[in-house]
Amino acid sequence: MTTVEETTATAERPTATAAAQPPVEPSRYSLRHPQSRIAWVRPAVWLPLVVMLAALGALWQLGAAKLPYLLPPLPAIGQSLGQNLGYYLQNAMITLGESVAGLVIGFVAAFVLAVLISELPIVRRAVMPIAVVLNVTPLVAIAPALVVAFGFGPMPKLVITALICFFPILINTTTGLRSVPQQVLQVYKTMDASRIELLVHLRIPNALPFLFAALRIVFPLSIIGAVVAELSASGATGGLGTVISTASSMNQLAVVYSAILILAVMGVLLLLVITVIERRVLHWHESSTD
Amino acid sequence: MTQAVELASVRKVYGFGPSAMVALNDVELTIEPGRFVSLIGPSGCGKSTLLRLVAGLESADAGTVSVHGVTPEEACAAKLIGLVPQSPALLPWLSVLKNVTLPHKINRGAAGRRERIGALSARDESRGAPDMLALLDKAGLSEAVDKLPSQLSGGMQQRAAIVRAFGLQPDVLLMDEPFSALDEFTRESLQDQLLDLWDELKTTVLFVTHSVSEAVRLSDSVVVMAPRPGRIVDWIDIDLPRPRNQRLFEDARFHEYEDRIRDALHSAWRSADAA
Repeated sequence: MTTVEETTATAERPTATAAAQPPVEPSRYSLRHPQSRIAWVRPAVWLPLVVMLAALGALWQLGAAKLPYLLPPLPAIGQSLGQNLGYYLQNAMITLGESVAGLVIGFVAAFVLAVLISELPIVRRAVMPIAVVLNVTPLVAIAPALVVAFGFGPMPKLVITALICFFPILINTTTGLRSVPQQVLQVYKTMDASRIELLVHLRIPNALPFLFAALRIVFPLSIIGAVVAELSASGATGGLGTVISTASSMNQLAVVYSAILILAVMGVLLLLVITVIERRVLHWHESSTD
Repeated sequence: MTQAVELASVRKVYGFGPSAMVALNDVELTIEPGRFVSLIGPSGCGKSTLLRLVAGLESADAGTVSVHGVTPEEACAAKLIGLVPQSPALLPWLSVLKNVTLPHKINRGAAGRRERIGALSARDESRGAPDMLALLDKAGLSEAVDKLPSQLSGGMQQRAAIVRAFGLQPDVLLMDEPFSALDEFTRESLQDQLLDLWDELKTTVLFVTHSVSEAVRLSDSVVVMAPRPGRIVDWIDIDLPRPRNQRLFEDARFHEYEDRIRDALHSAWRSADAA
């Protein structure tokens, strides 16, 4: 509606057109852009972290010198990583495989159940209390029992990882499916949209931001699940959890900390993956506009 | 001829026992096809409830509601009804164009059901899927076709919501205070566009509003309602020439109608207080 007024205004003041042009926005790869992608070259951005890391590293070295039985010196960790990189990577892949597979199982189960819960109140009443109890039961306590039941193979690892991922996805997706604004629902109900149509066109897209919030929690959690399962199944064939438990029993501290470091890196990578996917899928959502 | 909207001795009560609230009591309302009718009244007079009854979102406790001779539920199933709520209620993940075309993918069996409602078949030979791009263009949204709702101003969002409703080619268009959240200037330009679109489609409109001047400007008839219990107290036909543009505000009769409606609202208010 403003176009009419704008054109008359410019017709009266033709000189104003040039001034009214919006200034050319600097490239996002320029430092002048408010959210520049190369902002990290500024010392103000990276210096605090680097100083903090240096301080922590110095503290660590001090601790390692004073308490050699508790902390390995940093160079020893680096040496262990460098010399046995293949060994670490092979075990990392086992752990990663377990966490991703468990994640997929947990995701599918939780998503399907969330849809059923949001559509059928009777399922909600039947399942929700059990899911809550399952969630508050410490998985570390369940893990040994599952190892007894399923043996040292991949099965208990998948079950534990799936369980740990299950609950956040279930709760968030259920909330998202049920939180379509009332007026939107009314518009589509007056078209007599079927429940399937409401689900596909309104509820599931509406649940996506909630789902991704859960996935950001659950991706790193899946690694915790896999490692807990490996630690419980002493004598398992592989995985970084197994590496840690064997190395710590033999007091190889450098190996223990190398494995921990790799686990941390894996967690960061998974978080990165989900962040990238989220930006793609949720480009319309407030959380993605920076 | 069947009426577009017909309410006969409709009663709607919320709650029960001593805390029961009579939202509508003994409401009679008949709207001929193609009329633009506004419901006006203070909050709590049941005008939104009346709209929801016609939309089939709620059911009456007594009396009957019919839309083109069928129940509101059947009317919804045949997509006779378009709804523009108070908020734009667009889907934030869809572009404007996809938002306004989504209704065409919903309930595809509606056209067949509509044909079986005999009274309507005479109304339209030229019915087909409307050109949504042309409609958006007409509403001044041609620049915004590929934008997301969050990238638009409130007024543009509400225009998209109106285009979505008109795109359904509804036989009855229900609007629940669609302009109440907009500033005065935007509201007037949207009223113009609404009248333009309505001029083409000539659908029946039931329009809920708080604003006396908005009601006079848009409507063929204004229905005045009063609260406690919600009821219809007056029916005022607005006999002003169309098209109604800005010059209307200078017309003395425009203000006479405004005064008449205000009087009706005030006397209803006083009688409610006295009761």
